[in-house]
Formats: sequence, C-alpha cells, structure tokens
Amino acid sequence: MNMQSPNPAFFSNKNSRVLGGLLVLCAVLFLLHLAIGAKALSISEIWLAISAFNSNNFDHMIVWNIRLPRALIAITVGASLAVAGAIMQGVTKNPLASPSILGLLSGAAFAIVVALGWFGIDSPLYTPWIAALGASGAAIMVALIAHAAPGGLTTHNLTLAGAAVSAFLAAIITLFQLSNEDDFDDLREWLSGSLAGNNLEVLSSIAPWICLSLLAALLLANKITLLAMGDETAKSLGVKTTRLKLQLMLCVIMLTACSVALVGPVGFIGLVIPHVSRFFVGADYRWVIPISALLGACFLLLVDTLARVVISPAEISTGIASAIIGAPIFVYLIKVKLG
Amino acid sequence: MHSTKPNPNEIRQHEITGHEIKWRCFGQRIALTFNKQVIYTLLLLTSAVVLIAIWSLFTGSYLLSAEQVLSILFTQQATGASDDVIWLFRFPRTLAAILVGMMMALSGAVLQNITRNSLADPSLVGISQGAALAVVIAIVVFPEFDQSYRTLLAFLGSILVTGLILFLSHSKHNHKPIRFILLGIALSAFLSAVTTAYLTYGQLYKASAALGWLAGSIDGVNWQDVRILFYSCLCLLPLLLLQSRAMAIMRLGDTTAIALGANTEVQKYSLIAISVALAATATSVVGPIGFIGLIAPHAARRFCRSGVASHLLLSAVIGGLLLLFADIVGRRLIAPSQLPAGVLTQIIGVPIFIFLLLRKQARSHL
Repeated sequence: MNMQSPNPAFFSNKNSRVLGGLLVLCAVLFLLHLAIGAKALSISEIWLAISAFNSNNFDHMIVWNIRLPRALIAITVGASLAVAGAIMQGVTKNPLASPSILGLLSGAAFAIVVALGWFGIDSPLYTPWIAALGASGAAIMVALIAHAAPGGLTTHNLTLAGAAVSAFLAAIITLFQLSNEDDFDDLREWLSGSLAGNNLEVLSSIAPWICLSLLAALLLANKITLLAMGDETAKSLGVKTTRLKLQLMLCVIMLTACSVALVGPVGFIGLVIPHVSRFFVGADYRWVIPISALLGACFLLLVDTLARVVISPAEISTGIASAIIGAPIFVYLIKVKLG
Repeated sequence: MHSTKPNPNEIRQHEITGHEIKWRCFGQRIALTFNKQVIYTLLLLTSAVVLIAIWSLFTGSYLLSAEQVLSILFTQQATGASDDVIWLFRFPRTLAAILVGMMMALSGAVLQNITRNSLADPSLVGISQGAALAVVIAIVVFPEFDQSYRTLLAFLGSILVTGLILFLSHSKHNHKPIRFILLGIALSAFLSAVTTAYLTYGQLYKASAALGWLAGSIDGVNWQDVRILFYSCLCLLPLLLLQSRAMAIMRLGDTTAIALGANTEVQKYSLIAISVALAATATSVVGPIGFIGLIAPHAARRFCRSGVASHLLLSAVIGGLLLLFADIVGRRLIAPSQLPAGVLTQIIGVPIFIFLLLRKQARSHL
C-alpha cells in the first residue's frame, strides 16, 4: 500500500460531511446561545460587542460577562465529558461505562459535600479545585484497587472497582443529605449540575488542561480502536496495553475533573453522546473522539439555551435539562439507527 | 457449566469421584448440578443468615433479655409492649430484610446473565427509577396523599416504566442486547432527571421526606408486606431455576443460543418478566435498594465455582445476608435513631466486595 496516499476508509466522504455539518451547527448554536436569553440581542449587536467592546454599553456587558463565559463553558464541558465517556466505553468495552463509573463524578460531589459539611468551606472560589481533587482521588483509588486485584488492570476489574467505589461515595453523600437538611439545601442545586454563575477567570485557569487532554485523546485515538477489540488483539498488534490504559485514564480524570469543577456532576453527556457519535461514524475512534467532542459541545449549547428560555427568567439546572431534553432525542435515534 | 459439557465420560467421572451432586426431575426439565463446594458454601452462608437473623431478634433499642425473647417466641402469649416489639417489629423486619435482599440479588443476577453485561442491575430496566418517580411525585406534589398506598404506587410506577422500556425496545429487526441496554439508559436518565427536578425545586421539607424513602429503609414493614414478599419469592424462585438451563445457553450469545435450539426471544422476555416481578415487589415494599442487585452476583462468583442455577442460589443467599446485616447495623449504630438500610448496604457492602475483589479471582465467568 502506498503510505503517501490517505487511507480511503479513514477519509470517507460521509464522515467528513458529518464533521463539517457539526462544525457549522456548533457555530450556529454558539451564536444563538449568545443571542437568546432574558434580554434578546441581535447578531450585529453581538458582533459589535466582541469586535468593538464598549464598557458603557449594557448589552456589551451582558455578552462579555454573562453569555460568552457561559457559552464557552458549555462548549468545553460538553466536549470534554463526551470525549471522556467515549474513552471510557472504548477502554472498558462496556456500553454502560461513563466517567461516573470510574467514581469520578461521585468523588467530586463527595469532596464538595465533605468540604462544606465538615470544614464549612462554601466559597465558590475553591469549589472547582476541591471537586477536581475529589475526582482524581476517587479515580486513583479505583485504579489502585483494580491494579491490586488478581489479573491487574483488566476491563472487568476496573469496571467493578469503579462501580463499588462510586456506590460507596454516593451512599455517604446520601447519609450526609439525610443527616443535615440545611446544608443539603445549599447543595441541592450544585449536585444536579449547573452552568450558572461561572466567569472567564475560572474557565481560563482550567482551559489549558482541557485542551491538553483533548489533544492527547485525539493522538491516542487510533490505539483506542485497537483496545476496543480486546486486550489480546491489541497486544498482538503491538500496543502496550497497560501503559495505554494508564495514559487514557489520566486523560479521562483530567477531562472529568475539569468539567465537574466548572458545572458539577452532569452524567448524561458522557454516557449518551459517544453512542450517538457511533451511530454516525461507526467504531473507528479516530472519528468517534472528534465527533463526540463536537456533538457534546453542540448538545450542551442547545440544552443550556433551552434551559434558560423555557421557564425564564428562572432556569432549569443543566444536569436535569440535559437528560430531559436529551433522552427523547436518544430514544428517537436508537429507533432510527438500530431498527 | 459442568452440566453442559458434551462429553458423557467426563460427567460420569465427576459422579464417581463425588465432586458433584446431580439432581434431575420432570424428565430432565430441571437438571441441577451442584459442585460439592457450592453445597458447603451454601450451607455455611445459610447458617450465617440464620444466626444473624436470631441476633436481629435479640437486638434493638428496646432492651429485652435473652430469656424474655425466648419466652415471647415460644409461649406466644400476646401481652404487653415487649411482645409487640418482637412480633410486630423485629420479626417481620428480619424476614423482610432477608427476602428483599434475596429478590434484588436474583433479579440482578438474571439481568446480568441475559444482557451479558457485568454492570446490569434492576435499575437498568427502570425499576428503581419508576418507583422513585411515582413516590416522589406523590410526596412532593400531593402531600395529603395517603401513605398506605405508597407500596402499591411504587409497584405500579416500576411496572409501568419497565413496560415502557420493553415496549420501546421491541423491534422486529434487531434483537441485540445493546439496543435494550441503550433504551434502558435513556429512559432511566430521563426519569431520574425528573425525580431530581422535583427534589431540587420542591419545598425542602417535602424533598427531605422523599429522600428518606429513596434511601431505602426496612423499618415499618408489617406482616402483610412479609407475606407478599414471601409468596412472590415462593412462586418466582422455582420458575427461575426451571429457566436456568436456558439462561446458561443464552450466556453464550444470541447466535450460539439460537444455533443450539433456544427460542431466545421468548426466553429473554420471560426471564425479564420474572426478574422485574422480583425487583418491583421488593422495591415497592422498602424503596429503591439498588446496590445488592449489582454486587451480590459478582460476590457469589468469587466464593466458589458454580453453574447458573447454583450461582443464582448463592447470589440470593449473599443478598439476603448483606441486607440483613446492613439493617441490623443501621438499627444499632446511632440508636435510638435509625439509618436507612439501603445506604448502609453500600457502606458495608463495598469494603467487603473490594476485599473479595482483591483476594480472589472470579472462579468462573458465569
């Protein structure tokens, strides 16, 4: 085979069209997200706010201080959760896997609950870092348990250890909620996942990590395809499976911890978006990863726009809205794509 | 898997060396093969259940001496408060804990077998979510509603949701488990989101009341509940054992199963129906206790090598043991208040499960 020519299976026209279509959709949804809200803004107004910012103009302030950070966070979080989910499903070969199965989401929620309930830390300034700490702590625990179990870091061990650790942490959170109603009231909103109340500073401190992990996921994508065929096959094709799994786990931890830090535990995207991208582009992870990222970003932009509009001026929390809006779409896609 | 081994010589060998006991009746319709080790493990675990059940009768925040308990149990004179404590509270509660644990474990084991997925549990077919949604709506939206209908409501909720999932997942063209799993994910996520919305935006005291039920607790069961649990267990467990050979074949994958002559569609739906009936009955009485259905089948696999039928029995006993123990700890830990058994099952069960995971390789991939 001529190595110079692009692999025809990889650069298929259909997949490129899906990618192009999603990019356009993402741009359109981004603009809509900026334009729609409690105060509707025209596209030209938004363009002026971005190109020629005037701090005395109230509309410009809305765009820069409220809508733009929120839209950017929706894009980054949607993309990173979807990619994290896709990696998890590839590594564990389990369609039920998602970042939450590694204990990442409950780890983050647990850390926040402990920090608030036992140490009385309720400043939003620290929340992202505490969440990230909890998520990585839980993931490291899961990895250590799976590593120490007979057979080592196998899919089966990883899945079971993850399920056990998340159940444990979730139980302690429930216990806390039951024993302490006032603090539970403060946490109810955060625990269901919300995009509200973030600013550009938090995002810019976290964004580099997310970009780095997304890039790493894209570079490792071809090996995930091999890993998804089974450990034996991957090994015989020359993949160092244990090292690859550790690298991928690191990716997933970073992506999830950053997302949880920004919006709280949102489970639905990581579980469902990878399946949707597989409906469109098949099992090749070189396509699944980028398509998942774009789909996740589009989906979260759409959900957040709707969540702000439907019962405006109040808004539904992102975690709840994403499942309520996303589940019917997903059921429809299953009907159409799987027959 | 010994029962399905094709070589008859080997089976005879096992019979000679006495490693296995075979039990056949109804012209091989029921053919159970028990490894001796399985029988010893089952006996050991069952006696543990009995011992802990006795302990459960003797312990509680109302202090009774051992002689008092014994005299109440054996003379059966209905007099006074101490008598009520035993006969109206501790006894039904103990039995309910064992039965619910067994039923959830069985339901989880069946679902893991037919979907061939190690993460499947009753919440996959929406049982916990349906029950939770029905009860949370009742508590948050209609607080004046009569609590005595809660069991019925939870049962209806879970059956309706499961019916919906099965109805949606029915397809003429595609019978792969992945389709069923994905629809389960979608509907479960949708329903939990609605439940969370009620809990998040409902009034705080109502949300807290609903949370108490959602955590799954066994206090407050009466003899009526125990009777329901007992009879459904009595009907459904033999049905499951009857189907165990079909399940063993279905574990090999749809293609192989069809090639071996199994009517996979019929068998899949009848097994799902049994497992749903088990989990829905249990959930309606005590609230969503999800963890046992996930963990007990895995734990059973680590105790000893077993076939499908003996694995089901082992899972059931382990489930009953776990929930009974969790309930006792929940009663005693911060007495006189109580902790919900559902939460404690996870807190106690996880370390035990991790210990098993670290110590032993799964004995079989059944």
